Amino acid sequence: MFISKAHLVEVFFTKLVLNLKSEASKTYLSYIWWLLEPALMVAVFYLVFAIFLARGTPDFIIFLVCGKIPFLWFSKSISNASRSIVVGRGLINQVSIPMPFFPLLVVFQDAFKQTIVFAFMFTFFAIYGLEISWVWLSVIFIILTQLLLISAMSLLVAAITPFLPDFKYLIGTALLALMFGSGIFYSYKDVLLPQHQQLFLMNPVANLLKNYRQVLMENTQPDWTALVVICLASVALITAMTLYYRKAGTVYARLVAQ
Amino acid sequence: MTSDVMELDGVSVRYKSRKSFFRHDYFSALEDVSFTIKKGETLGIIGTNGCGKSTLLKVLANIYGVDGGKVTWHCRQVSLLALALGFDAELSGRDNAVISGMFLGGRKKEVLEKLDEIIEFSELEEFIDKPIKTYSNGMRARLGFSVAVNMHSELLLIDEVMGVGDGKFRRKAENAMINKISSNQTVVLVSHAMEQVKKLCDRVLWLDAGKVKMLGDTELILHEYNQFLKQH
Repeated sequence: MFISKAHLVEVFFTKLVLNLKSEASKTYLSYIWWLLEPALMVAVFYLVFAIFLARGTPDFIIFLVCGKIPFLWFSKSISNASRSIVVGRGLINQVSIPMPFFPLLVVFQDAFKQTIVFAFMFTFFAIYGLEISWVWLSVIFIILTQLLLISAMSLLVAAITPFLPDFKYLIGTALLALMFGSGIFYSYKDVLLPQHQQLFLMNPVANLLKNYRQVLMENTQPDWTALVVICLASVALITAMTLYYRKAGTVYARLVAQ
Repeated sequence: MTSDVMELDGVSVRYKSRKSFFRHDYFSALEDVSFTIKKGETLGIIGTNGCGKSTLLKVLANIYGVDGGKVTWHCRQVSLLALALGFDAELSGRDNAVISGMFLGGRKKEVLEKLDEIIEFSELEEFIDKPIKTYSNGMRARLGFSVAVNMHSELLLIDEVMGVGDGKFRRKAENAMINKISSNQTVVLVSHAMEQVKKLCDRVLWLDAGKVKMLGDTELILHEYNQFLKQH
């Protein structure tokens, strides 16, 4: 039982730093993997779609990076968060700790790594020769919106998996479907009928990717209304999940111990 | 102002296990358990295996919720004494000592201040900056014990952790733990070592099949419990 919220926050950030350190020490290339892994994923997609399938447009590499990098952040965080309570069972059974600690730790760990990936992504765009303008600053709001969405979804999936272990298989399939349905390697404007485009953009991940491209590639303001809606929906879900964990949090220790 | 640090009133806990897709079995681990823990006392919990002792400690630590009854804490900090709490094999002994101490209720500053003492107690000075994946089980246990024994909590819950390591260290660890329990610290001690319970506990609670069989004077209850064990 923690003395105060300040103590819990202190434990959270200490554990966060140590987890990052631990993760990096597991491989020979250490922290380099944080950049290398997304770079390799983009390279594979580029090879398949731009070269083998000849789908490449002039700025396809930028288009792909704008879609794949934020999507990887989303999918890795959700996938890791879905297992977070089960993975944390050792601690959960020895110390009284609020359950959101575990998914949020994963979210913050991945967000930290993503900050470095984004820094390299923007550097790459600058070297590539994209026109940098003040509009680019609005990407910060897109990133924060995505962080809110990831936090909300992580709290939700982390709560379900301990009750329904089968859910982890569905998560994998759902993330794959989301990848195909979010316009990572295709432009929805070219592929979808005009009457279906609004429906496509109701997928918050697809909407965020559209906004990243709008700002970074077209130098135009993002769709602020869509971003505010995603933020509000995420905050509502975070609030609901916080209330749920407060009420049902102590159920998990018994659940994951059995 | 109450001198009780915790009250349990009619607490029950049951475990659920899946029998088939929609059917579940229930097992009652604690049933209608009521007692209070007084400030500064050492309360022993005894009982045969599977009687609910460890479940009760987890309820006291607020790790398990209850299915019935009510638990009231009059203290701000309860720690279940656990060795190697939050240990990560990839990290150094020093990093693990810090995070483990924090999980056991210490603020970072406090744990860092006690770190030299913890390292000295563990006798792992040479290895403290090496990853604990290079430690033997005994070395890990020594480090975990050293952290646990050096942290303070208003209510300390101990589940059979009386000594670790070999020969000399084991005696040192046992003495340190006995000193901690014998101080003004409020302790709930689960143990099968009747001599230790007799020596350390002010009161004893005897659990039988999840229910309180007896609660009160240590000598009296240990006598009754020993009679019970002879008959069964």
